[in-house]
Amino acid sequence: MAETMTLEPDVGFIRELGKLGGADLKKCYQCATCSVVCPISPDNQPYPRKEMIAASWGLKDQLVADYDIWLCHNCGDCTTKCPRGAKPGEVLGALRAYAVREYATPKVVSKMVADPKMLPILLAVPAVIFIGLGLILKSIGINWLNFAPHGGEIWQSHFINNYLVDIIMIPTFFASIGVFALGLKRFLADIHASALAAGKTSTDKIDVAGIAKALLAVVLTVFKHKKFDECGENKQRSVAHMLVLFSFIGLFIVTNCFFVAEWILHIEGPYSQLNPVKWLGNAAGVALIVGSVLLWKNRLAKKDQSSSYWDWYLVVLVFALGVTGMGTQLLRLAGLAGPAYFVYFFHLLFIWSLFAYTPFSKLAHLVYRTAAMTYAEYTKRQ
Amino acid sequence: MDKKYGVYICTGCGIGDSLDIDALGDVAKEEGFPVQTHPMYCGKEGVAQIKQDIEANGINTLVIAACSRRVNFDIFRFKGCQVDRVNIREQVVWSHPRSEFPKLEEEQKDDGIHFDRVQMLADDYLKMGMARVKKIQPPEAYQVESFNRKILVIGGGITGLSAALDAAKAGYEVTVVEKTAELGGHAKTWRKQLPLGAPYEELSLPVIDDKIKAVKDHAKITVKTETVVARLAGEPGNFVVTLKKPGENIEFDVPYPLPEEMTVDENGKELNAEQLHQKFMEYNKGKLDILKIDPKGEAFGAVILAAGWSPAKLEGDQYAHLGVGLPDVVTNAEFEKIAKEGSIKRPSDGKEAKSVVFIQSPDKEDDNDFAYSGAVTSLVALKQAKYVREDFPADGKAFVFYQHMRTVGLTENFYKSIQQDEGIFLTKGTVTEVTQNGDGLTVKAQDTLLGKNVQVKADLVVLAAGMVPATQKDPVVNMAYRQGPAFRDIDLFDSYVDSNYICFPYETQRTGIYAAGGIRRSMTAEESIEDASGAALKAIQCLASVNRGVAVHPRSGDMTFPDFFMQRCTQCKRCTQECPFGAIDDDEKGTPKPNPARCRRCGTCMGCCPERIINFSDYSIDSIGSMVKAVGVPSEDDYEEPPMRILGLVCENDAYPALDIAGLNRLSYSADVRFIPIRCLGSMNVIWIKDALSQGMDGVFLLGCKHGDDYQCHFIKGSELAEIRVQKIGDALASLALENERVAQFELAIDDYDKIPKIVNEFVESIEALGPNPFKGF
Repeated sequence: MAETMTLEPDVGFIRELGKLGGADLKKCYQCATCSVVCPISPDNQPYPRKEMIAASWGLKDQLVADYDIWLCHNCGDCTTKCPRGAKPGEVLGALRAYAVREYATPKVVSKMVADPKMLPILLAVPAVIFIGLGLILKSIGINWLNFAPHGGEIWQSHFINNYLVDIIMIPTFFASIGVFALGLKRFLADIHASALAAGKTSTDKIDVAGIAKALLAVVLTVFKHKKFDECGENKQRSVAHMLVLFSFIGLFIVTNCFFVAEWILHIEGPYSQLNPVKWLGNAAGVALIVGSVLLWKNRLAKKDQSSSYWDWYLVVLVFALGVTGMGTQLLRLAGLAGPAYFVYFFHLLFIWSLFAYTPFSKLAHLVYRTAAMTYAEYTKRQ
Repeated sequence: MDKKYGVYICTGCGIGDSLDIDALGDVAKEEGFPVQTHPMYCGKEGVAQIKQDIEANGINTLVIAACSRRVNFDIFRFKGCQVDRVNIREQVVWSHPRSEFPKLEEEQKDDGIHFDRVQMLADDYLKMGMARVKKIQPPEAYQVESFNRKILVIGGGITGLSAALDAAKAGYEVTVVEKTAELGGHAKTWRKQLPLGAPYEELSLPVIDDKIKAVKDHAKITVKTETVVARLAGEPGNFVVTLKKPGENIEFDVPYPLPEEMTVDENGKELNAEQLHQKFMEYNKGKLDILKIDPKGEAFGAVILAAGWSPAKLEGDQYAHLGVGLPDVVTNAEFEKIAKEGSIKRPSDGKEAKSVVFIQSPDKEDDNDFAYSGAVTSLVALKQAKYVREDFPADGKAFVFYQHMRTVGLTENFYKSIQQDEGIFLTKGTVTEVTQNGDGLTVKAQDTLLGKNVQVKADLVVLAAGMVPATQKDPVVNMAYRQGPAFRDIDLFDSYVDSNYICFPYETQRTGIYAAGGIRRSMTAEESIEDASGAALKAIQCLASVNRGVAVHPRSGDMTFPDFFMQRCTQCKRCTQECPFGAIDDDEKGTPKPNPARCRRCGTCMGCCPERIINFSDYSIDSIGSMVKAVGVPSEDDYEEPPMRILGLVCENDAYPALDIAGLNRLSYSADVRFIPIRCLGSMNVIWIKDALSQGMDGVFLLGCKHGDDYQCHFIKGSELAEIRVQKIGDALASLALENERVAQFELAIDDYDKIPKIVNEFVESIEALGPNPFKGF
């Protein structure tokens, strides 16, 4: 603590936070009402009071390495109770958005994901990849892309062959994990150094078994939405978030089952509606749509909560995923071949975007928050 | 005037239920006062009954036994009549409930053992009221010799000019004197002013030039630059002022009082009045005595003192850790000059100062701001931080380290707007060190809101120096008053001129002289403009009171004034010295020369006079003394165990209202105490205490205001002087073989009503422990 920190405020950082929803951060006059009303803030060095002044002083390096911003579940109690309208909850949200971009590489993608004007280009990327690769393969005689699928049974693979889908999706998925791994490595190093310096922890060695144990505890907490339920102002978000989270998990399981069915057991789709895996898929699909609609509704209902493009990007993407996925199936069952293939194409674009852009988007909280919570659990945040 | 008396006893508000009204009426009848009663005198019918009595029977001196004189005072005011209000409601029946002080049973009456304490209390108060009205006379207004309604404004800064304009707009002739060659003062040296109007978010362009022009253009305002006051003689309504050029020496320069050590001879014996005067004239060689009136002096009715302030100098070891002495460490006043001249540059090398640190508090040990800061330096730092941003919008940075961010009232909006500036950084913190670091500076701070020891690199460091009032080193007004040319005891207020700015803003300790702006407390230009209006209105109020011969404040409208029976004066000079307002001068023989228009009618002179020759028409040694003597003191001849009789002399400004509030809250206390309200404890003459004890009363206590550095006395020193007098009375008591403990003084604030039962009862118990006064019954 005796160490003296040189303050060199980064005005660009303050401006950037403003664009990400933290425009009112300088209204803070450090009364600490936020830290007091926060239902989940710890007693020692509680957030978000300290983050508020650090943000208004533009202390970027300190803040991106401050894992407390990830312990916040954005329930909004602080924002509602703030006597100055500084919206601490929004500021922490902006800080998280900034931190995601800070830890993701390449930076150019970060910028594109954060910029609404770049959205068409982002969506064009998978379109170009699918069609481009399909055409290239076609030119060498591999016919995985069929613009006029033959009649009879409607099946997406007749249009874009599942091989084509998978040789694109699987590398994308692992690339994303790679990007996360790089970010996470830096993130963990930073938060550990910062926590040691700030006296939040005295644990200086990290052991894998301990981390695994902590992770298990955190995952259970996340599944139960325990932290959400401690929130006062914004409880209904818990349901929406839970629906979306579990639908993603469900769909991930379904996808893996059918992957195994297709590539290992060689059972070609479409699969029967009586198949229990299909049940799970449909249930998850419905949950995804309902959850995303609820997220949408909650955002519109909370007048004192600002919603930036950063937030809408994810809500809309989730909604679009659900709608196009379910739409494809329903159109297929209705026997409308053209519309079914058309919607399916977009579904593919959204899935690819979900995989590819996650480390750069709000969805990255999946990784960073889990990591931060695990770290806090492991080091017993003091 | 022939007095025709009438006693009116109200039976409402529980009075009739508690007291035997017929018996009370008999008390009046014994004195030959006709008596009437009514269940509600404050109602229409009650007032009509009194009026009818006045008209039909020529009653002109009324004793109304009912509620406190602090209520319904407008209802019981009758033209051409003198009225005494006997408080048998709050201080008798309400504070002495029958549940605790039971009525006598039929067989207990006149048995020589039992007595009704509450009835005795009411009887005594009625007797005291009747005794008083016999001794008082209707007041006649004091008129100054020649009345002048011109207003003198000392100081041509933003306060003085604003005050001059306000007074002139109200129709008064004003003369502004300014020491320097130019009007405008400090306000001329500023780049911008704090916000002047809604929404109080943006800095304003200085308004001083407009003020100067308005003053110069105003037909009723005369401006005299390079002029100071050499002496101000006379009294409100009739001040005679000698003006001069700064630095000149003239015979009408004000003389200074002799230092303490020169008032005694070689043997330490006090010099007599004539010797003192001779020494005084020698000490002030070349200057004329204060009583010498300058025939060429200019007449004024009232004075507005707006002589302003100067920036505090920050020097010495105390500030060494802040880098005082380094070329790029400046005060806020110096920074303002830099900013006024153009873009902000460092004094050392003229390089643009893009990183500026503002330090608000000097100390590492405590969290005080710089001396003389008030709430001003916070706002100035915010304003100057904005200059940095104005000059360097792209990369200018301003840091403010404060212990207190004082943004009073709507200036909070300005603070909020400054907070929003992305290049201004604020934190509470203790600055520990400012050091030169290459060609820049490093500022280190601890205990910041950032939770760490921090340092900032700065091009320029600005220290928040305070505003030192002009009166710190210079009397400024130079009053030709015997007590001296300067305001007394202003060291209690860090030399700011104010007698008590919470209760009596603008009023100085000299009637007719009203302070405004930075001389009164550290304040912003915007506050000073408002303050100027306040002082101008006070000056006008003064003129509009003096012209009718009534007191200005705090006893506004009081027509009485101290009347000296000079034939019996012994020239002891005590009144001259003790008057808190310097209202009394004395001549070379020591004979007092009262200046009634300077007087605030507190009666301190009456209280201190050993010859008891100073009296007011309705408040005198005799009127109070007669009330004391009217108290019935029962002895063993009357009852087997007679009750104690204790006199309470209470300050009517704070203690008496507190007694009323105690009554209102039905707090009960001993019924053996008789209270007499007096104008101020300073007006307490010890003869009253002696009278009380010599007629057999068992004890006397004074209830007055808190005194000392944080006094609450309306008249500044009243309770303090009373305490000194009470201490001196000890010898006299000893000669009568009475214990010192029979006389006491207690401090009581106006809101201390809940403490009254304890104070009163404990004193009564202590007297009971001493036993009855041996003089009882003689």
